[in-house]
Amino acid sequence: MKKVISILTILLTISILTFAVEPPKTAEIKIKTSAKCGMCKKRIERDLGVSKGIVNSNLNLDDKVVTITYNTKKTSPEKIKEVISKIGYDADEVVADQKSHDALPSCCQKTSASHKD
Amino acid sequence: MTNQLQQAFNWLLTVLLFLTIRIGFGQNVNGVVLDKTNSKEEPIIGATVNWLGTKVATTTDLEGKFTIARAKSKKLVISFVGYKSDTLDISNETDLRVYLQSENQLQEVVVRSSSTSMDRLSPIHTEIITSKALAKAACCNLSESFETNASVSVSYADAVTGAKQIQLLGLAGTYVQTNVENIPSIRGLATTFGLNYIPGTWIQSIDIGKGAGSVVNGYESMTGQINVELQKPDLAEKVYLNTYVNSLGRGEINLNLAHIFKQKQESKPKWSVALLSHGSTMQTTIDKNNDNFYDLPKYTQANFINRWKYESDKMVAQFGVKYLYDTRLGGQINKNPLSLDNLIYRFSNTTNRAEFFSKTAKLYQSKPYRGLGLILNGVTHDSQSQFGFRPYNGKQNTLYGNLIYQDIFGNTNHSYKAGLSFLYDKYDEKFADLTYQREEIVKGGFFEYTYKHLEKLTAVAGTRLDFHNLYGTIFTPRLHVLYNATENTALRLSAGKGFRTANPFAEYFGNLVSSRTVRFLETINPEISWNYGVSLTKTFGKSNLIIDLYHTRFQNQLIGDTEHPNFLYFYNSQGNNYANSAQIELNLVPAPRLELKVAYRYSDVWQTLGKSLNQEITVRKMFVPRDRVLLNVGYALPYDKWKFDVTLQYNGQRRIPNLSTTYVHTSYESMPIQYAPAFVNLNAQVSRAFRRWDIYLGGENLTNFRQKDPIVTPDNPFGSRFDAGSAWGPVVGRVIYFGTRYKLGGRI
Repeated sequence: MKKVISILTILLTISILTFAVEPPKTAEIKIKTSAKCGMCKKRIERDLGVSKGIVNSNLNLDDKVVTITYNTKKTSPEKIKEVISKIGYDADEVVADQKSHDALPSCCQKTSASHKD
Repeated sequence: MTNQLQQAFNWLLTVLLFLTIRIGFGQNVNGVVLDKTNSKEEPIIGATVNWLGTKVATTTDLEGKFTIARAKSKKLVISFVGYKSDTLDISNETDLRVYLQSENQLQEVVVRSSSTSMDRLSPIHTEIITSKALAKAACCNLSESFETNASVSVSYADAVTGAKQIQLLGLAGTYVQTNVENIPSIRGLATTFGLNYIPGTWIQSIDIGKGAGSVVNGYESMTGQINVELQKPDLAEKVYLNTYVNSLGRGEINLNLAHIFKQKQESKPKWSVALLSHGSTMQTTIDKNNDNFYDLPKYTQANFINRWKYESDKMVAQFGVKYLYDTRLGGQINKNPLSLDNLIYRFSNTTNRAEFFSKTAKLYQSKPYRGLGLILNGVTHDSQSQFGFRPYNGKQNTLYGNLIYQDIFGNTNHSYKAGLSFLYDKYDEKFADLTYQREEIVKGGFFEYTYKHLEKLTAVAGTRLDFHNLYGTIFTPRLHVLYNATENTALRLSAGKGFRTANPFAEYFGNLVSSRTVRFLETINPEISWNYGVSLTKTFGKSNLIIDLYHTRFQNQLIGDTEHPNFLYFYNSQGNNYANSAQIELNLVPAPRLELKVAYRYSDVWQTLGKSLNQEITVRKMFVPRDRVLLNVGYALPYDKWKFDVTLQYNGQRRIPNLSTTYVHTSYESMPIQYAPAFVNLNAQVSRAFRRWDIYLGGENLTNFRQKDPIVTPDNPFGSRFDAGSAWGPVVGRVIYFGTRYKLGGRI
């Protein structure tokens, strides 16, 4: 019986310790992008989806803000903005990577007027 | 008079409309159905509006307007031929503005979510293999694309040439009309290796139609129709690079490039171009069963397509050229140390194939149901082989033209396709001391009428009449019916005749790797078959259940008789020759991104043999397993970041020739019937997607099953009993492969 209790105590201590050490796993961030249309939404969400540390993302086409849930251990807001820039879009203060931007279909480029489909 | 009548009718309708709005407010739903293709709004006249699952229906008037009484159903379906049907949820809305989208436009955007799907609108039982399903079987060409499909199975032709054949409804792939973008493609001499000539990365999607196909594409579809859509210049990624290596030493590179030329103005015609290329090779010596024969031939293939597309408001034109070079070397690895002479048995084949194609369609902007299309295709195919001492040289030249006009009778419930076709085929074949020559000139016409009643019933009746320079007039009738009993239940019926000229050497190519003497007992007549089928599809949510039954009966069939170990006899069939096939398939989506497929197929195929001994006995057709089970499980993370896929196939017993070296064939009636054992095939794959890259790792035949002795007397290939053409199972064991895909500039 004593043995069982001591094992349980040890386990409990370990779990408390690990919980104490481990920071909150995920965080949420909102980033304003230069997205234009549904195609952009699809592209950004897909490319973020396969990028390191991204748990979930959702781009709102009304205000072009993408809400991202990410693993704080694996990535950071700076890195995420870099990823969005590489996809070809502005991300807050980070300007779109020119090469990636130019490779986008013309309807998705910054010069295009905003459209819904 | 008619004008006045129409005006009166219009006026009446307006009044009625007005009245119904005033009096029946809340009881009726009003609306207008519009087309907005060219950013101009135009009314769609005669569109069907009905409440889903009820008989309450109406059509739109000259201004595209409609009024319909409310019904129990809350879902309003608006449909019109040439447009994508729209279903709206109606609660309290009364005035609707509905924009229908033209089907042509939509097809290009549709991304099918699940990997295999049924074409719900087609009256022909059609299964679609999407690029997503194609990615499940990462290797390598069309013959391997059917791995996760229950209807089509891949069979092993022989133990030397490396050719793969497919089976549908229990019959060989030669009875399936295989089209590439609606141009009959894998036919004639290409039936031997043709499936290896279409790389998987070129393929956008594959449609598999079961039962006799549409008359529009000719009379050759007997058990089904497979249509392969290749990557389009204006839709494909700008750059798509695929590399592949496997544990046998096979290496492969596929590079697709696509470019859309910048338009000066929006209204100007649009040009686009694509280059699809493929190179693969295997130069390793594989002999896992130590019979001194290559298990797989050493081979090299180079293959490309250059295609162009022109698109304006008035027409769409596509044209291009294809070129293929394929060379393979198989047979004995070393000279037999025991034999005193300096002989070595080698199999070799070199194929050169060049092709051009063009497809032109005239569009009628205001009438999307109308169309005029012309398909032209020219092929020259040259195949040179050596089977030990026996050479085989085959040449084929083909010209094909098909002119199709499509329109409606009055309204879109009655539509039709009519057209003219032309086929020129010239075959020049020589095997050892046999020559086989044929020149076919076929002029034909066809008419296909489609009747559509709401969403309930679609019936397609087609006939074609062809005038063949060798075989006279050929009449081909076909019928397809789709009946949607409920929203989730579809019943399909089909019946039709098929006709084709057989190419004995190309179709029994693997059997030539033997000491068998080839003997034609008589002049071979064209094959004629009748196919009847019924299928039931029940969908529940994302899952579905498909049951189908097909019967194919041959009026005449080419029999390639291998019962006698020293001969390969060719003759016209006598007596009963038929195939029955039944299949039940269940596709389940128990959780998001998890797909489960369970299918069982029963094939009952019989042939009447014995002409060489003036006997007549009906026996099971060789190499067709009676039972087949397919299990497939696929799971993917969101956006396919990780993808897992496992496929298990159970192949039942199949009849094989008597390969005992002491067997003496004296009678068909008393010959012992032999069966090959059943075996299981397990394949699995994992893939990981990055932003531009995909990598995948997989294994084929993971249980490492091998047919023990696929070759009879491999130590004496010049002896009288040598036979490598009777393999029934995999010759090589487990294969592990690894590949990458790089995509740049996707349109989505």
